[in-house]
Amino acid sequence: MNNKNEKSHRLMGEELLIPAFAVIFTLYFLSTIWHSPWTAKVSAYLIATVLMSACGLFFLKTGLLVKRGKASLGFGKVFSKEDITGGRVGLALLTIGYCYFIEDLGFTLTTFLFLAASMLVLGKGKRPSLILVISALMALGGWVVFIWAFDTHFPMGWFETTMKELL
Amino acid sequence: MGDTALILGEVFLDTLSYWWVIIPTIFLGLIVGGVPGFSAANTIIILMPLTLSMDLEMGLVFMVSLYCSARMGAGIPAILVNIPGTAGAAATPLDGYPMTQQGRGQQALAMTFVASSLGGLLTTIIALAAMPILARVGFYMHSVEMIVVMLFGISLIASIAAEDMLKGLIAGFLGLILGCIGTDVIYATPRGTFGLLELYDGVPLIPALVGLFAVSEAFVIIEKKMIITKAAQATMAKPSWAATFEGAHIAFQRWWHIVWTSIIGLVIGVIPGAGASIASFVAYQQSRSFSKTPELYGTGHPEGLIAPESANNGVTSGTLVPLLVLGIPGGATAAIMLVVMQYHGVSFGPSLFENQPKIGYGMFMAMAVSYIFMFFTILPLSRYMSRVTTIPTIYLAPMIISFTLVGAFVPREYIFDMYLALGFGVLGYIARRTGYHVAAILIGVILGPLLEKYFLWSLKKSEGDVSILFSSTIGNILWLCLVLSLALPPFLEYRRKRKAKVT
Repeated sequence: MNNKNEKSHRLMGEELLIPAFAVIFTLYFLSTIWHSPWTAKVSAYLIATVLMSACGLFFLKTGLLVKRGKASLGFGKVFSKEDITGGRVGLALLTIGYCYFIEDLGFTLTTFLFLAASMLVLGKGKRPSLILVISALMALGGWVVFIWAFDTHFPMGWFETTMKELL
Repeated sequence: MGDTALILGEVFLDTLSYWWVIIPTIFLGLIVGGVPGFSAANTIIILMPLTLSMDLEMGLVFMVSLYCSARMGAGIPAILVNIPGTAGAAATPLDGYPMTQQGRGQQALAMTFVASSLGGLLTTIIALAAMPILARVGFYMHSVEMIVVMLFGISLIASIAAEDMLKGLIAGFLGLILGCIGTDVIYATPRGTFGLLELYDGVPLIPALVGLFAVSEAFVIIEKKMIITKAAQATMAKPSWAATFEGAHIAFQRWWHIVWTSIIGLVIGVIPGAGASIASFVAYQQSRSFSKTPELYGTGHPEGLIAPESANNGVTSGTLVPLLVLGIPGGATAAIMLVVMQYHGVSFGPSLFENQPKIGYGMFMAMAVSYIFMFFTILPLSRYMSRVTTIPTIYLAPMIISFTLVGAFVPREYIFDMYLALGFGVLGYIARRTGYHVAAILIGVILGPLLEKYFLWSLKKSEGDVSILFSSTIGNILWLCLVLSLALPPFLEYRRKRKAKVT
């Protein structure tokens, strides 16, 4: 029954996000090759033609569905209140922080902080000691396998430099 | 003939004696293959001092075992957590992950281990027997023929789009235009780079793979306590060997499927530069096209899992053919093997099999022995590996994000690539939420630049004359195969339906 309702009233607003992005990016892409030699253009023109046509058809289809009352331009699956309460927004912010701080703090320390913070956010602060132990083990395990054993070029920070001097 | 058999027997026994190198290397390969960014090629480079210090035979056994097991390892996270370890396993989650969600992760792993081992072993034997003929494939595959091979891979977009054609096309062609980012191959004109130097070489594959599959998946799975369904949790609570045997049995029952899809991998592997991702997409698409139940693909269908896994392991033996016979490496790992062999003074070409037959045949034998060892060592592990799916998502999701994002950093060592992976993660998340297929986007990103390169080379050769695309005999045969593979399945389906109506 639920399924039937969902089908009869689709939230098309969010389904337009990818085509809208595709159109905007394609227009930007074409603007960057406007004065380029044909070799830089030919393939992009072919792809852009198909992509823009497909997006155009999708917009048309959406318009018709909305007009017939079978769909609305609403959002529901991509972003909702539950994303804040469920911790998804918190995890997203922490992920951006992970990318930002890893260059200065290095892999091991940033990974430990990221794992601990995001597990605490997702677990709503429950079992903090277990989370700290898991985070420390994972971060140290990563350092042992990838940096110490295989000498992989991960972002280096205080921990990696100190350990390098010690060992 | 007798001499060759004697040499092969001797080489087989020699290779077996290196079991103590092969077994630990298999486990190392499973780890590095499973983490995006840590390919076999990267690991061999990292361990180059160790490889060079070994004697040639042992070094080759080590590299070949690592290569094969990393290929197999890439399929494990693809099945269990929907994150392919390498682009070569990007078609694996299409049917592997739905099986895991249904609580059949153990069967799926057993199936993939059997398909990979058998496919790899079989194609190694075929490659060994048909080396002179296969070596010519590389010679005859020029830009025109490569365009058709790429189109075989891209036609998978049409299969993925079967449910909603418009959404499939939008996702696939969005991937293709994203794949065009970077400088063009003839005049190096920058296109769609937002002025970022890091994008001049094009969109790097690992950040795209990490973002589209891993980061977006991590943000989706946190909605549930575990990635498997409640019914599946009950099944997983009582793991048994029966599930492993069942998976292996299902794979063995489809032995013919393993044979022909692994041969697709072998032939594509022989073409320098083609690679496992193209092979697995082509094999999946062909498997679906000629299946009696194409509608089951994407829902956890065994053949949809067997096809890409057999094919990407078929590629491993294929890449050795141009390396040994022509001295042309078919991929990154083969290129590193070439460097190591040259360091030891090995000469390539037909003379290799006359002057140093133990080296030439030894590489194939090492591959065959590795696949045999892999079958017996990894198959029992499927029971334990599948337990990953029972880890609560509050622990699993952050681990996936941190270890794959840093994996995106490794190949080029740019922090930018981590942000790029994050960007692709957002795109992948929106795509998953709104019914667009992330695999279709990835196919575009992988195959788009290759298709453009070969297309431009062809046009440059013909001074802009498009008819060059139909100018070669092999190319025309491939065009015919492509048209048949796309047109026959709907035609057969139509006939089946008509017959059913009449009866």
